[in-house]
Amino acid sequence: MAAIATDPFGFAPAIAVFPLVAFVVTLVFGTYMPKKGAFAGIIATAGSLVVSLVMFAAVTGGETHQTTLYEWTNGAAQSATGVETIAFSFGILIDPLSALMLVIVSLVALLVHVFSLGYMNAEGETGLRRYYAELGLFTFSMLAFVFADNLLMAFMFFELVGLCSYLLIGFWFRTESAPSAAKKAFLVTRFGDYFFLVGVVAIAATFGTVGFAGEESFVTAAETAIDDGATLFGFDAETWVTITGLLVLGGVLGKSAQFPFHTWLPDAMEGPTTVSALIHAATMVAAGVYLVARMFGYYALSPTALAIIAFVGGFTALFAATMAVVKDDIKQVLAYSTISQYGYMMLGLGVGGYVAGVFHLMNHAFFKALLFLGAGAVIILMHHEQDMWEMGGLKDKAPVVYYTFLAGALALAGIVPFSGFWSKDEVLFDALAVGLAEPVILAAYAMGLIAVFFTGFYTFRMVFLTFHGEPRSDTAEEPHAVGWAVKVPLLVLGTLAAVVGFANLAPVASLLDLDITFLEFWLDGEYGSIEGLTYHAYHETVAFEESYIGSETTTMLLSAGLSLGLALAGAFTAHTLYNVPEPSRHTQKLGGAYRVLKSNYYQDEYQVWLAEGFTLQLARAADRFDQTVIDGVVNGTSTISLFGSDRMKRLQTGIVTNYAALLVGGFIGLLLVLGYLGGWFA
Amino acid sequence: MTVDVQYYVLLSMAVFCIGLFGVLTRRNALLFLMSVELMLNAANINLIAFAFYHGNLTGQLFALFTMALAAAEVAVGLGIILVLYRNFHDVDVTVPTTMRW
Repeated sequence: MAAIATDPFGFAPAIAVFPLVAFVVTLVFGTYMPKKGAFAGIIATAGSLVVSLVMFAAVTGGETHQTTLYEWTNGAAQSATGVETIAFSFGILIDPLSALMLVIVSLVALLVHVFSLGYMNAEGETGLRRYYAELGLFTFSMLAFVFADNLLMAFMFFELVGLCSYLLIGFWFRTESAPSAAKKAFLVTRFGDYFFLVGVVAIAATFGTVGFAGEESFVTAAETAIDDGATLFGFDAETWVTITGLLVLGGVLGKSAQFPFHTWLPDAMEGPTTVSALIHAATMVAAGVYLVARMFGYYALSPTALAIIAFVGGFTALFAATMAVVKDDIKQVLAYSTISQYGYMMLGLGVGGYVAGVFHLMNHAFFKALLFLGAGAVIILMHHEQDMWEMGGLKDKAPVVYYTFLAGALALAGIVPFSGFWSKDEVLFDALAVGLAEPVILAAYAMGLIAVFFTGFYTFRMVFLTFHGEPRSDTAEEPHAVGWAVKVPLLVLGTLAAVVGFANLAPVASLLDLDITFLEFWLDGEYGSIEGLTYHAYHETVAFEESYIGSETTTMLLSAGLSLGLALAGAFTAHTLYNVPEPSRHTQKLGGAYRVLKSNYYQDEYQVWLAEGFTLQLARAADRFDQTVIDGVVNGTSTISLFGSDRMKRLQTGIVTNYAALLVGGFIGLLLVLGYLGGWFA
Repeated sequence: MTVDVQYYVLLSMAVFCIGLFGVLTRRNALLFLMSVELMLNAANINLIAFAFYHGNLTGQLFALFTMALAAAEVAVGLGIILVLYRNFHDVDVTVPTTMRW
């Protein structure tokens, strides 16, 4: 223990190694272990959490850590900016952002492991060894992704996270829908990752480095290139930064399920609910937004890229929220709310609100893990029924689940003083401040603001349909009991969802002139920080103008009031429509819009059309070209030589005299040629 | 009294041409072999004539080599002809045409 006090960062690799060990142990011995390896996972993630907290404490003590663990290749390569060597390595970067994220990920993973005892083991699932092994690998990949100190390592673990979610979404692979959903998740995210990979290569080729932090980072190199007015690959430096940034953003949009790559996420509900909680709150989907935050200094250099991030985020927030309104499956509602909430984070980051985006990422991790685990508890209560119209009246039968779920719902809807309110408000405030100067951002802000109403509505529609009113089925009358393994994670997360927002009470701080925006101080390097990776450094780089209505405080209060009012209006609408003993669907009032929303704006249809009508045809044409032209040339070569040699071989008659004649003729011919060349006949 | 070297060359050429004519026109394998011998000996005549002309014994030495070689060649050739006769009951070189493609 003394070593931990003197050199806490020496233990950093253990954060990821614990779950990796759990993965191997469970994979090999899981069948013989108690609870099929659940305890191995719980111990490992608890270990990760403890070490993460040590890191957190160390960063609070003013220290940061950046080290290269293993350099797997290096060599000479002339980059566009004139760097002559390049090295690819695995390394660890512990700064305020990654320390915070490590704590979030390991905590959520731990709670999901505990919850799995009640959700998977108690239900007598088969394949639990596989489940816990994959869960361990998933946690390992995400933790390693979080502390990655360079873009290539981040990419590798980004891919591993994608693989693990593929495995876990397809956990019930004997059903028809789960394997298909898993494949869809894999393919859609992989499509985005192609761009990411191209982006990584482009950044490496341009700047000769893929490091995130320090003097040797590509962020610093890009800043220098822009300041020098360099020309990179025929573009001026800023345009090139925008292009590469947008390529990397492709991976982010795929993983964080942003429009138009969001279609995999609702289908991913085919996995176990615990997996959904992990994917949505802390790992897979969070990875995308985390990556933007991680290399925020790079995006900050390009106003165009930021504006695109903000606009896509705002649009996705509204787009997904409207779809959530008509869903009947409790998990589907949560799935669309996830897409929508990640839209907010993108909006926050896109307007330069680094703190707001990370704040919402943190709050969302807790309340969305809570809501998914709550939904898992509801599914246990309901004997695996997920249709909300079969529920109702669960409030009195399962008070722990109800009150924790309600805490999560209030946070999601953004009702004061639950966590979601503070972060969503900060995102919207930052968007408004920039939006007043930039019309594009204002449009993104408007969409985000309207989405607040829908969020309040669908959240409380879900709560009322599930927990309020009269039971609408026999299982709702007689729910299955839930054990401590379900309740404890819910209580922990319920408490966090309620209080974690107090980490950054920006409006209160502004109003009362108090220094209580702890998260902002944290990310701004008031404790430990790495130079250049602070909120202030980012804020100075971002080129957006900010303006306010009246003063900053007035704008902040106005924005907060507006979003709170809309959230309450949404919740109240849901209350009038659905908080009655016998609620009806009210969908006919939507008219034609209902069909569009129910079909998810035909997003799947057009993407299938793109795949079948365009890509498949293109592939067929390419195949035909290959079969006829390319193969034709290859086959033609062999046909010509076969035919030619068939003719040539007739020269061999088998009669020795002919050979002798040919020999003599050839000799005379050669003699004549040489003679001619030698000048006999001249 | 010495004979001029060009007469040797003429003789050698005549013998060679007779041999060549035999190779190109005869069908009997034995005659074929004899024609080859003629050509070899035409070469020998040249070697010895020029060796004498230059006062150098290397040519005569090579003529000896050629004769040894010719003996070996005849041994192999006769062996082939024997096998040929056993298989085709003939020594006509145009008959065995199956040993091609």
